Parts: sequence; structure tokens; C-alpha cells
Amino acid sequence: MSTAHARDGRFLLAPLTIFLLAMLGLPLAVDLIYSLSRVEFATILSPQFVGLENYGQALRSESYWQAAWFSLRFGLIAALAQLLLGLFLAIFLAPLIDKRPWLLAFLMLPMMVAPALVGLMYRLILHEFVGVVPWFLFTYWGDSPSFLGPDNAFTTLVVVEVLQWTPFALLILYSAYAAVPAEVREAAAIDGAGPWRRLWAIDLPLMAPAMGAAFFIRFIDGFRVFDNVYTLTGAGAGGSTTTMSIWVYQAFFKSGDIGQAVAASMLLLAASWLVLALVHRVSERRA
Amino acid sequence: MNLLRWLVFAVAALAMNFPVIATLVTSFKSEAEIASNPSWWIQAPTLANYAGVFAMADRFDVLHYLWNSFASALLGAGLSLVLAFPAAFALVRFGAGRRWLMPLVVNLRAIPLIVFAIPLYLVYARVGLLDTKLGLALILCVVNLPLVLILLAAALRDLPVELDEAARVDGASTFTLLWRIVLPLAGPALATTMVLGFVYAWNEFLFALMLTTRDAVTATVGASFFFAASGGGVRWGAAAAVMMLSVLPPVVLGLLLYRRIGQSLAAGAVKG
Repeated sequence: MSTAHARDGRFLLAPLTIFLLAMLGLPLAVDLIYSLSRVEFATILSPQFVGLENYGQALRSESYWQAAWFSLRFGLIAALAQLLLGLFLAIFLAPLIDKRPWLLAFLMLPMMVAPALVGLMYRLILHEFVGVVPWFLFTYWGDSPSFLGPDNAFTTLVVVEVLQWTPFALLILYSAYAAVPAEVREAAAIDGAGPWRRLWAIDLPLMAPAMGAAFFIRFIDGFRVFDNVYTLTGAGAGGSTTTMSIWVYQAFFKSGDIGQAVAASMLLLAASWLVLALVHRVSERRA
Repeated sequence: MNLLRWLVFAVAALAMNFPVIATLVTSFKSEAEIASNPSWWIQAPTLANYAGVFAMADRFDVLHYLWNSFASALLGAGLSLVLAFPAAFALVRFGAGRRWLMPLVVNLRAIPLIVFAIPLYLVYARVGLLDTKLGLALILCVVNLPLVLILLAAALRDLPVELDEAARVDGASTFTLLWRIVLPLAGPALATTMVLGFVYAWNEFLFALMLTTRDAVTATVGASFFFAASGGGVRWGAAAAVMMLSVLPPVVLGLLLYRRIGQSLAAGAVKG
């Protein structure tokens, strides 16, 4: 690379770099300072240094760990379900979609709907008096579970998340399935491999990177979830559906304890970093 | 076998689109019918909910909320393209920032947004960006950057490098090349990226909830107001109508461009 190119390159990167510094660097600095201070809305300009007290408080709080456990479980279970369901649909429906690509439009549509709206829509649909799902269950089955009650809220949220985002996994896996070279499949068929054997020995191994990517992206999004959980259960059901993001939000807006909210968000950032580093290491070893 | 495939497709499409379909049905029922007939058929279709929503502009200005969503999403998506396009070119052709910028922006996709939301709230409050479309657009741009940068870098990587070289031989500077040759060729990719960025920005909720209170409230946040009403109970018909209005623009864009969007998302996920 010539020096002229290096200079041009720096020049082309400059706007984005400056923007990121302002929009991310500044907030992170504020996060760091306030997480080490005792500070409320009234004392916003005179934070009082208290060291790691806020971090200790968050880590000793039972509700924070409950939220962490919720987010982790939610992310893992929902991502796994989306991966398996998306894999099944991608492979089983491939013959239909290959010939009629417009079918994809119907399967992709849920991803265009705001998760916050999806949460609100399910509040309507699952409502015990005006909702169509309880009405259906009462009419044809005689009983309906309390979908948003403490016992069922977690399952309901997972199902809602899976129904909205399985299309994402489906889309990635369908592309990966379509990219498997036809010659490899044909060669295996000539060698006498049946459909199941071809699936296990050829398609799935070749689709593994796409499966990893789909699972990871859906896990991360589930782990940091806010919108649909907040609008569907309002973190209600006895606090049993508080995700980590919602915990931080409530510490800030409802308790006004800025120091602790920010310390908790820094811990959340560290946890995400850990996950990223772990995934990076695994994917590098495989490559 | 094919019949079974069609059946599976129908069940999957219906189940995944169920919330939108059920809300659409509800939005055409009168409030009285919603209470007496929660089923999936409509006895007396009516547009009263939609008319009612537009008629209460003094308390709930749905047109204003839709305009806020539209303006901030357009501005946010546009800004992310303006910032990411030259950067993506420098990344792909010169390898500039490959070690730090690309990983930083891509990993941003994995960081819980709430981490930035609180300090931004405090900073915005100081500099007067709280409850403004510009303030919201700036952060929507940040939210979009990972996807936009990945998609643009992938698109530019697919352009033949010989074109660059030919232009260089003719004496074009990097900026002439970028403006006259690369930008027109990358047009379709830029358009798809813009649409996706717009949809993502339109659908974003956390920042709109935290950073807007009145003037810049977006459609998704506005829709949630209907459910926050305590005491009098929720007006389900009006809520359904508002939700349908908020969901319409991204869904229409998705239907129009499903093919390009699908390819982009799949490519972006794997290349990222």
C-alpha cells in the first residue's frame, strides 16, 4: 500500500471514527465515571467518588442475578429452538421455495415488524377477555392457561421470540443449503447414499458455519432482549420476567439510582464481551 | 410429500404472521364487538377505530408520531450510509482500519444498547438533544452501523478491482473514483442497505422510549401509550388501529424488496 493510499484511507475513515468516538466513547466515559460514584438526578453534576461500591451493590442484589439468569436462559433456549425450527423449515421447504421464491416473502415478514409492537400485539391476542387465543381455547377446549401469569410468562415469551425470529435462522440456513454444490450431492447419491445419509454426511457439515452464525446472532439478541419482553409483560409477573436490560432501565428510571444502574450496565457490557471473546476463540480454532 | 410441504409452509407462515393478522382483524371491529366477540371473524366490519385515532389529535397525534418515526429513521439510515460508504471503501480497497474499526463496529451488534442509553440520556439532557428527532436519528445511525458497514463492505468487495485500476490509469483521484465510478455501481446495494436501515431504525424501541417524551415520540412508543392507560382500561380497537398504522411502512417495504433483503441479511450474517 502506497503512502498516498494510506493517507486517503485515513481520510475516508475519519468521519466514521469521529462519529463513533462522540456517540460511543463519550457515553462509555460517562458510564465509567458514574459507575464509581454516588449520583442521583439532583446531584448529576457533582458525583461523589465511592470506588466499587455500586458494583458490589449490584452483584449482591438478588434481583440482578435473577435477571442475569433469565437473560441467559431466554437467549439459549430461544436461539436453540430457532435454529432447529429454522433448519427443519429451510430443508423441508427448500423444494417449494426453489421454484417459488415469493413464498419467502411470507416467511420473512415477521422480521419487518418491530419487536415492541409484537409484544403489544400479543398483549391483545392473549388477553383473557378480548384475546383470540384464550377465546379459541375456552370455546374448543374449555380452559385456557394464564399465558402471562408467573408460571407461564417465560414460556410465552420464548414462544413469541421464536415465532418472530425463526425466519432469520430460516433465511440464513436456506441460503447455506442452496449453496451446497449439487455435484457433491449427486456424487454421494451415485455412491448409494440415501437422503438421510446425504443430509447427515454432506448437507449438515457444510451448513455448520451458517448454523453457528444463526445460533450466535439469535443468542446475543435474546441475551440483550428488551423490547418485546418490556411491552408484553412489562417485566411483570412478579418480576420474574426482568431481563438484564430491563433491570438496568428500571434502576435508572424507577429508582433513580444512576450509579448502580450504570455499574450494572458495565457488568452487562463485560458479560457480552466475555461471550464475544469465547465465540471468537471457538470459531478461530475451527477455522 | 409436496402436499405435506405446502401444509407445513401454511402453518409456519400463519403462526409466524399471526400477531399481525389477528391485530388487523381486531382493528376492523367496533369496541363493542371486540368485547363481545374475540374470535377471528368480524360480524360488522368498521373503520371507526382508524377514524377515531385520527380524530383525537389533541391528546394522541398519530400523524405526528408517524412523521417522527419516518423522519428520524430516514435521517438515521441516511447518515449511517454517508459515514459507512467511504469507510467501507477504505476497508475493502486499502485495508485501512481492518484491524480495529471493522471488529469494533461489528461487535457493536452484540452489545446491549442499554449500556449507551443511560449516559446518552444524561449527555442529551445537557446539550438539548433530548426529545428531538436529530438526537434520536444520531443514535439510530449508531444502531444501524454494524449491519450497514458489513453489507456495504460485502457489496464493494464484489465490484471488480480492474475498474478502480482503469480509473487510476486515467488519472482519477480516490475521491473522483469513489464518486464517479464506485457510487453508481454500488447503487443497488446502497438502496437495499438504505431500506433495511430504515426498517431497523423505524422498529427501534429502547432509545425512542428513553430519549423522547413528547415532541419526538415515535409510532412504536406512541402505540405503547394505549396500554399504559390505567383506570379506564385499554381501548383495544384504537390500539389495534395504531399498531397497524405503525407496522405498515416496514412491512410494505419488506414485501416489495423481500428478495434483495433476504439475500442481504443472509450474506451479512455469515460474512459478519
